[in-house]
Amino acid sequence: MKSKAGKKRTSVFMILPLYLFTIVFVACPLIYVLILSFTPQEGGFAFTLENYRRILEPVYLDTFVQSFQLAITSTLIICVVGYPFGYFMARLPKEKKEKAMLFLMLPFWVNSLIRLYGWIIILQKKGILNYILEKLGIIDEPLKILYSYPAIVIGMVYVLLPFMAMSVYSSAEKLDWSLVEAARDLGASKTQAFFHIILKLTFPGLLSGIILTFIPSMGLFFIADILGGNKIVLVGSLIQEQMTRGNNWPFAAALAVILMLLTTAMIMAYRKITNAKELEGIG
Amino acid sequence: MKMKKIAAVLTTTALGVSLLAGCGGKKAEELVLFTWEGMFPQEILDGFEKETGIKVVYSNFDTDETMLEKLSQAKGGDYDVVIADDYIIEKAVEQQLVKKLDKEKIKNFDNINPLYQGQFYDKNNEYTVPYGSGIPLIVYDPSQVDIEIKGYSDLWDPSLEDSIALVANYRVICGITQLSMGESMNEEDPEVIAKTGERLKELAPNVRMIQDDNTQNALLNGEASVGFLYTSQVTAALAENPDLKVVYPEEGLGFGIMNMFIPSNAPSEDAAYKFIDYILEPENAAECFNHIGYYSTNKAADELVNPNLVVPENVTKGEIVQNVSQEAEDAYSKAWTEFKAACD
Repeated sequence: MKSKAGKKRTSVFMILPLYLFTIVFVACPLIYVLILSFTPQEGGFAFTLENYRRILEPVYLDTFVQSFQLAITSTLIICVVGYPFGYFMARLPKEKKEKAMLFLMLPFWVNSLIRLYGWIIILQKKGILNYILEKLGIIDEPLKILYSYPAIVIGMVYVLLPFMAMSVYSSAEKLDWSLVEAARDLGASKTQAFFHIILKLTFPGLLSGIILTFIPSMGLFFIADILGGNKIVLVGSLIQEQMTRGNNWPFAAALAVILMLLTTAMIMAYRKITNAKELEGIG
Repeated sequence: MKMKKIAAVLTTTALGVSLLAGCGGKKAEELVLFTWEGMFPQEILDGFEKETGIKVVYSNFDTDETMLEKLSQAKGGDYDVVIADDYIIEKAVEQQLVKKLDKEKIKNFDNINPLYQGQFYDKNNEYTVPYGSGIPLIVYDPSQVDIEIKGYSDLWDPSLEDSIALVANYRVICGITQLSMGESMNEEDPEVIAKTGERLKELAPNVRMIQDDNTQNALLNGEASVGFLYTSQVTAALAENPDLKVVYPEEGLGFGIMNMFIPSNAPSEDAAYKFIDYILEPENAAECFNHIGYYSTNKAADELVNPNLVVPENVTKGEIVQNVSQEAEDAYSKAWTEFKAACD
């Protein structure tokens, strides 16, 4: 008994820094943001719903719609590209698997801003892509891809694809292949086996990939800034602008609160659907 | 952005170190200069010390707001010469933190270009000496543009579809829209701001990109054929492609002026006068403007400075973006968000 109690006490002391850290660096800022979002722009401590009312103005509602649209488009493309990516990576022999993983992680060693500037060189009017297309005779005039909607989608897909590949990979790796064999033995076609067994068993991975790409793509405003030429207003860029030039922190806080509520709702929905406590691939 | 953060950290460290150093007590005569980082070439500061024997202690701040905060905590003391932006000086004067200049002690005072004097923060030129001006200007590539651009309103020309690169400062962009409408850049009337927003939206089809950092690159790599750029970007663009044409818009300029002033309780007032006078010497001023890359505010230095940093004679009017009420500020930011949403 005695030793057990002693153990407990040490574990409390061990955990204490974690609690302190969470309270000071996570809980307190969040509470601050929440309180700030109910205060008037002029400062002071009066309670007001004005900031939330402002979000309902068409121009600001529109930024939420725009952000959602962009997030949905990029996430769909990431699903289509990332699912087979992760799936086939999991089926590689061990040695090649490790190499593939290394190649997937390698870009993370370079700051994502710098990688995005690399995309400018590829996409710009006198860039590599236009050069190749022109040489191949596919186009006569250079395409204006940079500073357009497709450029933003390309950037989003590029930055977020590894997250999808990783979570599908970790799901597919755990897949019990004897189940697929059994299905095939019992007369299921390849497609049937895929949809009934493989897709179902890797579904948590796919879903967590969707969460891991959808939520950040709502806030990755620098992609819209750098590749989109700032012409599409995302919630992220709106918050940033209100914090800096607009000098309206309460409004920025209200926007952030709504964004957090939306993303929380999505994570709750994920847990409901998959019964999982952690996101696949990072848990 | 990253660079700014690094600069901020460095500045803070430097400030901390200089504060510690300050504890040692004064030995030789000192002048405490308070401004942003990198505002003077080292040779100029060394030259001043050699000429007068006064040691310059360079103390820096990151934003105008920090400067005002520190100066008001010091009750107008601690610093001998401060250089900051126009709008914050207005507040500093209001708070009685700025000393009235004794012009007898500044024999080079007449070197100042009157274009930059008599502004809202110092209508009678009693408190300030301009130190460089930033003027966002239109720059374009004549080989890519069919029309001759003379002013802001030409930016709305349909032939410029999808070809303009803009800086991302909404007060400045709303401001030039207002200048093109014959209104003030500092309008607070919600109706006028709403009209500005409508007019700005009409510009949307012509906009290729909006960015605050290195906007000139879009012009240099051919993505855009017209740019509305900050001074440093204009200079950088011209350095790389001298064939670009700079437009001093006929509607007048929107600009910002940095100014030197002496705080109300400056510890070494005489040294401060000597320093200001020294900087107003044409050769020294020219060297400073070349270093910071802002427009020369010193008429006598115009012949010596990089010709790209001299505003032509025929430019006579200009307006400065000033603080407006929070209500107006919000209206401007809303107009801007609507404009950007209309751009894609």
